[in-house]
Amino acid sequence: RTAVRRRRTLRPGSKAFEGAKDIRDSRGRASGFGALDLGLNGRGSGRVVVERILGEMTVRFVLLVNKQGQTRLAHYNEIVPKAERRQIEGEMVRKCLTRSDKQCSIVEHRGMKVIYRRYASLFFIVGVDEHENELAVHEFIHCVVETLDRHFGNVCELDIMFHLEKAHYILEEMVMNGQIVETNKSIILGQTVMYDPPPEK
Amino acid sequence: VASAASSRARRGFGRPRTAGTMPPPTVGVAKTKSKEFYDIVRQIGECKNKSDEDVIMRREVMTLRTQMASPKLEKTKMKELLIRLMYVDMLGHDASFGYIHAVKATHESDISMKRLGYLATSAFLDEHHDLIILIVNTVQQDLKTDNYLAVCAALTTVCRLVNEETIPAVLTQVVDLLSHRKEQVRKKAVMALHRFHQRSPSSVAHLHGKFRQMLCDKDPSVMSAALCALHDLILADATPHKNLIPSFVSILKQIVEHRLHNYDYHKVPAPFIQIKLLKILAALGTADKAASTEMYSVLSTCLKRGDSGGNVGNAIVYECVRTAASIYPSPVLLEHCAAAVSRFIASSNHNLKYVGLDSLSCIVNINPKYAAEHQMTVVDCLEDADESIRGKTLDLLYRMTKSHNVEVVVEKMIEFLKTSTDKHVRESTAARIGELAERYAPTTQWFIDTMNAMFAIGGDVVKPTVAHNLMRLIGEGSGDVGADETLRRSAVNSYLKLLQTPKLPKVLLEVILWVVGEYGTLSGRSPGELQDVLCGVVETQPDGAAVTSQAMTACAKLAAASAPPALSPAATKLIELAASSRDVNKQQRSHEIVALLRESPALISAALPVDRSGEELGVDENLSFMDALVSKALAEGASPYQPVAERAPPPSAAGFAASGPEPVGALRFDAYDAPQMPARDYGAPPVRVDASRGAYDPYIPREETATAATASEPTLRRKEGTWGADTGFVSTSAPAEPPVKDEKALLADALFSGVTTSSPAAAAAPPAAADDLFGLGLAAPAPTTSVSSPLDDILSQLSVGGGPAPPAGGGVGLEGFLNAPAPPVSGGFDLLGGGAPAPTIVPQFVRQNAPAPAAPVRTDGMVMSPGMDGVSRPRGKKDPFADLLG
Repeated sequence: RTAVRRRRTLRPGSKAFEGAKDIRDSRGRASGFGALDLGLNGRGSGRVVVERILGEMTVRFVLLVNKQGQTRLAHYNEIVPKAERRQIEGEMVRKCLTRSDKQCSIVEHRGMKVIYRRYASLFFIVGVDEHENELAVHEFIHCVVETLDRHFGNVCELDIMFHLEKAHYILEEMVMNGQIVETNKSIILGQTVMYDPPPEK
Repeated sequence: VASAASSRARRGFGRPRTAGTMPPPTVGVAKTKSKEFYDIVRQIGECKNKSDEDVIMRREVMTLRTQMASPKLEKTKMKELLIRLMYVDMLGHDASFGYIHAVKATHESDISMKRLGYLATSAFLDEHHDLIILIVNTVQQDLKTDNYLAVCAALTTVCRLVNEETIPAVLTQVVDLLSHRKEQVRKKAVMALHRFHQRSPSSVAHLHGKFRQMLCDKDPSVMSAALCALHDLILADATPHKNLIPSFVSILKQIVEHRLHNYDYHKVPAPFIQIKLLKILAALGTADKAASTEMYSVLSTCLKRGDSGGNVGNAIVYECVRTAASIYPSPVLLEHCAAAVSRFIASSNHNLKYVGLDSLSCIVNINPKYAAEHQMTVVDCLEDADESIRGKTLDLLYRMTKSHNVEVVVEKMIEFLKTSTDKHVRESTAARIGELAERYAPTTQWFIDTMNAMFAIGGDVVKPTVAHNLMRLIGEGSGDVGADETLRRSAVNSYLKLLQTPKLPKVLLEVILWVVGEYGTLSGRSPGELQDVLCGVVETQPDGAAVTSQAMTACAKLAAASAPPALSPAATKLIELAASSRDVNKQQRSHEIVALLRESPALISAALPVDRSGEELGVDENLSFMDALVSKALAEGASPYQPVAERAPPPSAAGFAASGPEPVGALRFDAYDAPQMPARDYGAPPVRVDASRGAYDPYIPREETATAATASEPTLRRKEGTWGADTGFVSTSAPAEPPVKDEKALLADALFSGVTTSSPAAAAAPPAAADDLFGLGLAAPAPTTSVSSPLDDILSQLSVGGGPAPPAGGGVGLEGFLNAPAPPVSGGFDLLGGGAPAPTIVPQFVRQNAPAPAAPVRTDGMVMSPGMDGVSRPRGKKDPFADLLG
């Protein structure tokens, strides 16, 4: 029943989307990350210790964060130590969630570009290389959401939480080696569903 | 547009699809998991804050730990547990106890379990994890199976977890899969090869042809995967792929003409593949007129079609502009691009405005005229509320900067630096300010003011080179004496004023201390007064040791400039205090200053001349000034110098040498011997030629070294008359001792204690008579034998405190000279200092004090390092440190 109550569509333009103006996190997660972050900075390392791999790495991570700043899905395409992941996620929350509609959805962060898009209570945050086409990534996020939407039917935050693995399968199909490889929804979902065939009725 | 698009998607979604593999829409939401799972996920979802979440996750960790370990666990249950474990991991708790279960799941025959196992493994582990080795075997087997889903899952994992060492284990199998009947497998195999290329380009260097072959695959998704790989290859080296341009152009043309209909996205044909192709063309056409000409027509078609393509069309247009700007320019194409850019910049959509600014800066590089019509918009953007937009505007301005507008641009950049918070952005902005100001500065005064402003605001992110450039500018001047003096005076005055501000950034403080030390007297204040100011800085600025030592050097320079040379009372106090500091650097400077100021005024002013920092310091690499000493030593019976390579290997390392000579600089893989206590009766440890004054040796008790120094001089027996080999020397005071301990032990000693061992050359030197050390050392460039013997060889032999010079050369090279402030190395310095006809100038402080270390300028350090001052000092003088050290 709670699931139904919390079920809000992620579609932009929906009522939930309109109403969700208050995106600033008053307490909780963001501040929790803040404390962790300070601790890390105290070590004197402001830089992300990320092992870059050779060649072009377009999509470095895909992050789904709700408006409370809680991570709902984290998909990294490069080697990021666990502690750094927490730090990046905290920074993303603080950077992206505090921006208004009047600002562009592109943020420069530690030498990479971060592009985000908001769907109701969920923020889709994608970190890409500095020279990546920002508009394309912006549209790519929408493509991901459409794919999720087609799979779950009117997708919401809880769908993704209940079927975390499916969301990951979809992302793994769409992004490989940091490249956008597949945008054909039928192929993506076809692959995803084959691993978990629907239960026989 | 987005909402319209998504409602289109919604309608499309409602219609039954004909595609065979299309799942029924409700599949994903079907309840396939247990109630327990849904409950726990719901709890996570309902957490209001981090601490609630932590409580739940801690409980989860306990539950999962016990449940996963239980022997009879249903497979479906295990799947749920793994997903719960992914939550634990994602939310920042330690899930390492369950990693092995994820690895185990990959062994399962059940395909959905296997897939989840692979997913969890790639989420938990990175390619350097120990468990990877367990995965490799499973992956190998799965790559062989008939079930193409298992193959796909394995390939996906290969893309995420294979490291350089495991590439060969799967490479042949992956290559075989390139001809698999299923296009999904072929696509993933291409991506796996792409991954191998990213990891280790050499591993797939022989397979570049395969990528080209896959480009012609009949399935578009395989083709687009091949594009990813080829893009990387082309970025690395475009030349071998130039002949693919017609293929790329034709693919792009077909896509634009809508021949690839199942890749439509919002009615735009395959936009992501188009963008990928445009990037490839940009890389291929750079600075290549012939190649670029082939692309013009398809680019303009792309541009035209993209214009009506909504959001994703804009992305294509943007990519077209970037491509057009990076290939050989076509005026017609650029006109089209400029029109598109105008549309972007004028847009009220902030994202479009952002990319508009970016694309404008691309085309402005080719022709500045395009910026003219957007002047006002750009100025507006500078005031935009959004930091991203402002930053992008400054990027644009940075590219447009010429000498006429530099003042405005830099002013704007400094404003931006004030408000910006991201460290990376601040760093790059500061670097750009420095670059522009240097390149286009209208006057030196402006340059100095700008630098001061920048240091004050962005001192934390300014690179030291920028500071060095500023110091060099002030130091070298323009050549016009009057103008230089005015400039320096104004710099000194502004710096003296700045010093009253608390908490100056470190870089700025460094500049200030140097400038005041060099040119302080231009301000009209007396050197004594200035010294007091500098001593005050030590109190008020928080940076501690570094500031203190720089202030000390500055005081010394000012003291040298006053007549007669004298420190002010405050400076004397500061320097005396530093003599007993725990900081070796401070201690050394203090001793040096005290010693120098006792010398004759002529020597002082030669060592610390006023305003000579711009002069080049000639380094006599052949050490010709030592020739006299060398010939004298030879005349007295010293053996001529032999280069290291010609010397007989030391027999003490015979076992080692038996395996062939150790290649210079090679890594050793055998273990070092355990360090042994050095023999006490070696004679005086030659490291400490002046051990009796050894302020720098905390390890050897004073008493002992004193005895050592005064002990009867050990005489040398040179067995083979070769200098430098360990064997020849037996110190008479230790006749029973095996000549030299195992070389490894010595090296270990040298590495770990540093002080107690002795280099062979030094071991031979009678401690009190430094001349003998020289006599030995100076056999080196003996004109009769090997004049060309490299300086490093000599130094490696003479570097006192460096321990026995290992075959690989453990001595101090010239580099050591120029930027090593550490006392042990200073043995090398005095070599130059001691014999130099010029005033002994030792580049001790170059790193902090001299402008631009890259340019050889006058090195204004101090004369002597206490470790060796016996050598460089005129003989017969009273030891300057005797009274300091009691």
